[in-house]
Amino acid sequence: MSIFVNAQTKVLCQGITGTQATFHIRRSLDYGTQVVAGVTPGKGGGMHLGLPVFNTVKEAKKETGVNASVMYVPAPYVKSAVKEAVDAGLELVVCIADGVPIKDMLEINHMLAGSKTKLIGPNTPGIITPGEARLGIFPENIHKPGCIGVVSRSSTLTYEAVLETSKAGFGQSTVLGLGDDMLIGVDFVESLKRFHEDDQTKAIVVLGRLGGTFEEVAAQYYKSLEHKKPVIAFVAGNAIPFGHKMGYAGDVITKGSISTQDKKDIMEEAGMIVVDNINDIHKELAGLA
Amino acid sequence: MNIHEYQAKKILQQYGIRIPKGGVAYTPNEAKKTAARASARGPWMLKAQIQSGARQKGYFLEKEAGARGGIRQIKNRRDILRNAEQMLGATLVTVQTGPAGKTVGRLYVEEFKKIERIFYAGIAIDRVHSALVLLVAAIKNEDITNIAFNHPERILKLNLDLEGDTRPEQVREVMDFLKLPPKSARSLETFINGMHRAFIDYDATMIEVNPVGLMKNGELVALDAKISFDDNALFRHKDIRALQDDYEASERELQAAKYKFNYSEFGGSIGCIVNGDGLALAVMDTLRVKGLDTACFLNVKGGVDKDKIASGIKIIMTNPRVEGILINILGGFLRCNLIADGIIAAASEVGLNVPLVVRFEGTNKEEAKEILAKSKLPIILAESMEEAAAKLAEAMEEAD
Repeated sequence: MSIFVNAQTKVLCQGITGTQATFHIRRSLDYGTQVVAGVTPGKGGGMHLGLPVFNTVKEAKKETGVNASVMYVPAPYVKSAVKEAVDAGLELVVCIADGVPIKDMLEINHMLAGSKTKLIGPNTPGIITPGEARLGIFPENIHKPGCIGVVSRSSTLTYEAVLETSKAGFGQSTVLGLGDDMLIGVDFVESLKRFHEDDQTKAIVVLGRLGGTFEEVAAQYYKSLEHKKPVIAFVAGNAIPFGHKMGYAGDVITKGSISTQDKKDIMEEAGMIVVDNINDIHKELAGLA
Repeated sequence: MNIHEYQAKKILQQYGIRIPKGGVAYTPNEAKKTAARASARGPWMLKAQIQSGARQKGYFLEKEAGARGGIRQIKNRRDILRNAEQMLGATLVTVQTGPAGKTVGRLYVEEFKKIERIFYAGIAIDRVHSALVLLVAAIKNEDITNIAFNHPERILKLNLDLEGDTRPEQVREVMDFLKLPPKSARSLETFINGMHRAFIDYDATMIEVNPVGLMKNGELVALDAKISFDDNALFRHKDIRALQDDYEASERELQAAKYKFNYSEFGGSIGCIVNGDGLALAVMDTLRVKGLDTACFLNVKGGVDKDKIASGIKIIMTNPRVEGILINILGGFLRCNLIADGIIAAASEVGLNVPLVVRFEGTNKEEAKEILAKSKLPIILAESMEEAAAKLAEAMEEAD
């Protein structure tokens, strides 16, 4: 078991003929991911990486039965690409691009709210279920199948957390990056919910960061759970002075903003194990065994 | 991206929002002329155009600039020239600028508006709910962030639609909340819809009018204005991009921006090069645990070109505040060997005069380490973030 993606997931790649897509889809295929089709408008009817290329997501779905998409399309085209995936009724869309305009994301999330499609990202390394499926740009060699779920709001820090699970002698059930951007699709709550429903996952690593209140909301959700799996959490950004441009001024006024330390306190109070140093995660994981 | 008050006011004015009569001035003489056009008898407002809040409570570093802050009410015509001379070219320090302050290159000169009372109005993004939020609060002489922290109930928050105008019932709710007189109804509607439309039309990330003034006749007037724009959407707003004031960014920030790398400065002595903002935060946290504070970091995420990466690394290597460098790369999209090549190219050009600790993980890590080893540069390698910070702390102690 795993969350969101597994060996049965039939994957479509939107923007498959691009350079980065070609590089990473080849690697995903080598990894054993069931990528079955690609879409590049105007290039339908051809083949790429041994896969059929279609003009539209709808066509690709009809012909190959895909249920998830990983998109490598440039930021300005993300909105229309997601819309296509939603209209075709795909269950999951993973968006790698960074630089998606905030207004586009507001509209995308509005559109997703009335659909069955879930979006991971944008600006994410993607999602990987070790040994089964890789959608995105994760370095595959650091992952191995196991029982730790990893969810992170910071792209590259995700790798760090994975290394920590390995150091403690564990593999991962599923690893997902929620995306570094101001607005994201799937959040911590949705991820925690799925990890709790997944039998394979025994413990969860949560990586939060400065800005927004996603961690606070996640802590409230976790607190409300009757049966809790152990969560080890880290929140990056203690060293950033208040008011620095890395934060979003709007957080202050919309939410009364909370500092990194506040987030940690709230998460700890909800029952999560919070570490101050990301390289301490393996110690806490080892302690769970 | 941020713009100046006068530019923000001009945008809001396009949407029918009333602003005091005024204009921008780059010289004391221009200030005098602009003042005469704005109001025959005064009083006038002289406002330093730097991109920072709390200008009124700020102070000038130069004694000659006088004891008053960055926003001055001038009653006598003959004082305009003297005050403009004092402020232009002087360095204004506010709670937001940091101790170095910002140089005032232009003034906004406007008529003084007599008002009955003031309130705060803003539109921001609620990140957790992916929603646009209108925020209003009655204020006196208070800081809105303090109200948000201590009395959030004093701020009315309404979710706005992504399309169309603000709903009439929402406008009425604001009327009631602020206890505005009935004669203000139309002016308020124009005001809120104007902010709402400007936000959507220009891909803003935040608009604040702090304060809005209520005049005796019921009209509302924007006494200050601040708009921040989404950098990722500037490609569809060339007119906004043209408003960028390069004096607001440091030389190094501009260089980094040229290569599309994120660069930030802080008060410490360590230069960090990472790939990912979250990673930057974690590296800074880890350094702090070891007693080291960050001077600046460069995020080379998305770098695919060796020369660009080398240019980025040079920005850190040539920063005089940097006494030690930590490079922490978790290769995925970005391949570690590119960074190794970049380090060597940069070091051979500008020299490596401070301790440098490098930690590679992920894509092409071994190849990258080999490249560094072959270079014979005195580079310290580390296997984890914590080890990298510890080794840097050690190397800096030895260097002292």
